[in-house]
Amino acid sequence: MIARASRTLRAVVTFLMALGCIAALPGAASATVYAQIEGTGSTWSELIVQQWIADVDANGMKVVYTGGGSTKGRKDFAQGSTDFAISEIPYQGVDEQGQADTSNGRDFAYLPIVAGGTAFTYQLKIGNELVRNLRLSGETIAKIFTDKITNWNDPAITKDNNGRKFPSLPIKPVVRSDGSGTTAQFTTWMDHEYPSIWRPYFGQSGLTSYYPKHGGLMISQAGSDQVMNTIKGYAGNGTIGYVEYSYPVNADYPVVKVLNKAGYFVEPTQYNTAVALTKAKINQDKNSQMYLTQILDGVYTNPDPRAYPISSYSYMIIPTGKDDPRMTTAKRQTLADFLYYSLCSGQTKAGPYGYSPLPLNLVQAGFDQIAKLKKADSAVDLTDRDVRSCNNPTFDGKNLNHNVLADIAPQPAACDKIGEGPCGTATGTSTDGGGEGDGTTGGSGTTGTTGGTGGTGGTGGTADGGTGSAPGAIDPATGAVVGGDPGTTTSGDAIYASPTELVAERTGDKSAFGWLAVLELLALILLPGFFVIALRRRRPSGHGGRP
Amino acid sequence: MTSLPLQDASTDVRPRTISRKATGVDAVFVHSIRVVGATVLVITGGVGVFLGWQALPTLRRYGWSFFTEASWQPEADVVGIAAVLTGTVCVALVAMSIAFPLALSTALYISEYAPARIKSILVSMVDLMAAVPSIIWGLWGYFLIMPHAADLSVWLDRNFGWIPFFDVHDADPNAAAIDISRYSFSMFCAGIAVAMMVLPMSCAVMRQVFSQTPPGEKEAALALGATRWGMIRSVVLPFGRGGIIGGAMLGMGRALGETIAVLLILSPSFEVKGRVLEIGGNTVSSLIAGRFGDASKSQLSALLAAGFVLFLITLLVNTVAAMIVNRSRSGAGTEI
Repeated sequence: MIARASRTLRAVVTFLMALGCIAALPGAASATVYAQIEGTGSTWSELIVQQWIADVDANGMKVVYTGGGSTKGRKDFAQGSTDFAISEIPYQGVDEQGQADTSNGRDFAYLPIVAGGTAFTYQLKIGNELVRNLRLSGETIAKIFTDKITNWNDPAITKDNNGRKFPSLPIKPVVRSDGSGTTAQFTTWMDHEYPSIWRPYFGQSGLTSYYPKHGGLMISQAGSDQVMNTIKGYAGNGTIGYVEYSYPVNADYPVVKVLNKAGYFVEPTQYNTAVALTKAKINQDKNSQMYLTQILDGVYTNPDPRAYPISSYSYMIIPTGKDDPRMTTAKRQTLADFLYYSLCSGQTKAGPYGYSPLPLNLVQAGFDQIAKLKKADSAVDLTDRDVRSCNNPTFDGKNLNHNVLADIAPQPAACDKIGEGPCGTATGTSTDGGGEGDGTTGGSGTTGTTGGTGGTGGTGGTADGGTGSAPGAIDPATGAVVGGDPGTTTSGDAIYASPTELVAERTGDKSAFGWLAVLELLALILLPGFFVIALRRRRPSGHGGRP
Repeated sequence: MTSLPLQDASTDVRPRTISRKATGVDAVFVHSIRVVGATVLVITGGVGVFLGWQALPTLRRYGWSFFTEASWQPEADVVGIAAVLTGTVCVALVAMSIAFPLALSTALYISEYAPARIKSILVSMVDLMAAVPSIIWGLWGYFLIMPHAADLSVWLDRNFGWIPFFDVHDADPNAAAIDISRYSFSMFCAGIAVAMMVLPMSCAVMRQVFSQTPPGEKEAALALGATRWGMIRSVVLPFGRGGIIGGAMLGMGRALGETIAVLLILSPSFEVKGRVLEIGGNTVSSLIAGRFGDASKSQLSALLAAGFVLFLITLLVNTVAAMIVNRSRSGAGTEI
């Protein structure tokens, strides 16, 4: 209760500070002239960027952002057709084909804008009930996306879920068809953690922005939103795909809890992402073009039980050239102020939207990068825009060396430990906990749901409902959830007891009986004719025999 | 005595030389019109030359394998259009097999059966269909039609699965829980949306031709005791044969190049297949639209090479259409 009260208090304070920040900006706006800036790129971070754009619109800043994928963003920026780009991975220098992936000589700087977890969202129904608490280890995920595990009843999946069985249903991985930073993040992780699974499938080592699709049941779709649409669509049963955590959160869809090094299955909430990223190494070489880009090796193997392994940052690529053909003072000012809002107050929205706020060191470095805009054009006004006045939820102004979010991140529930559980709580959103355990009739293997009158999982559900307003905030492990858990497990097991599938016919029968049917049909048509002909032939001979 | 006026030898009386050369205002008009007409040729030719020029590096690099390779993986240096070409043809064929009967019967109803009051409404409604943007048809197909089309696909697979065209791999139409996603995002679903875009165009051409049937011959047929359907069969359809074929071919040309709706509905996959009910497939135009944004220079050349092939095919279809229409000139069938 106290924790919640303090959280509400903090929310109120941040809100007031955000108000103050917004109120302070028009003063700057009246002095400065804004001009519309345009950017393209990542769909991974598009949701939060669009929210920021809506927020700053009232201050006279017009920002236009279109998704389309990180690869497109980098390309557009290099061709000088946009003012900024957002990408998950930096310019690769040379892509796999030996084609240049550079900025074409345009001066630029990377600037981290938001952190988040690459989540695996899925649609898996048992009866008519959506499974909401699937857990998978990294190895299982890698095998699913390389066509090694192709059915939901695979023993590896059952093992990850502590013996809980899923129906026999083909797994249909949904991947991106366009050049995507999400794909790049995901394949980086696979290449680093499971090279023996990933590399034979890919045929080479390293990351790729274009997911290799080798037939199978894989479905490819363009853009994160299309991937999400496919998974939550009417034909989505059995699908699993990778998108930023915000997409399933907004769509009210579950995400996979991924096993981390500490042996816990965790969800990519803002806390778990922030904790994982405390181990991210940042390229600190200020002279390098890759300054501030991420080295995530430590994140994948972060030993903290709260860490979500596939966490990463998204970057904005901003033009820093003095004589950049697209940039003007007004545009630089707009970009600077937009970024100031994004790095500070804007980060308070990251959590509820399914992202994670940037920690202090990155915000500080971000300010250094913004300063490059002033270096390029001294008319850009950057007064009163520094870290102390920044209203970022990961740090307080007094102690700048502490990541508040990582400090307050709740420990995972005991039932999320490997070999325990599974927990009855839902992932992705926390609207309805323990839904899948409701009203089982036991062992019949049919749907057997009774309209969600909370049976055993009811306690978990109410516990979740209390904090349901902030979808990203996972409910800390409450006694109720853990206590309610054995009930869900046992009744859950009853549902999935024997997901046997009966085949309508034996495989060899079809063609044989098909030919038989064809023959019979032919006989039906032809035999009477033949019979008549035969009769006629006999009759003349009979006539001939009479005289 | 009268005498004929003598021919004055000095004056040379000859008929005025007739010149076919236009002079004055006429000349200006003729030349300007000629220039305008020529621009069309120049533009079309320019498109072809530009595409061909851009495609050259790709064609030189990959040679014939560009036409025989199915997969499109520029990052692995494997690029080919065998899959997208078959996909393009499949989607267009599905679209035509839906749009053609619809367009023909709509055109016949409008020109022959519809009461005068409904006629104008129907004509404007069909024209309105042509005005609906392609992205709207795509969304319509994606959200409204696809679920039902998938059910239809299951039924088709169940009953006609022995026809290779209607077969769906890795899916059992008789299963208790049918894997419906294998039947969605297919060329069949995309073809339905494309059919709706093709229909108004084909219908307009056919209707135009049917309405030009000589009323005398129609009345004669009726006077000889033909039923209305008999009259249509013996007069209207033979008279409009050129228009029917021309409308269908024009629609085919459009169906081959339709982009956004296909991009939205079809889940991109690169394999040569005629199984239209099965998930996945790709067409040339949707490939270009999908990959254009993040293409590097050589990838762009490959995309333009694919576009060049599509351009040639469309040109061929339209030329054949024009030839057929010219050979079977409207009304030829009735002039006995």
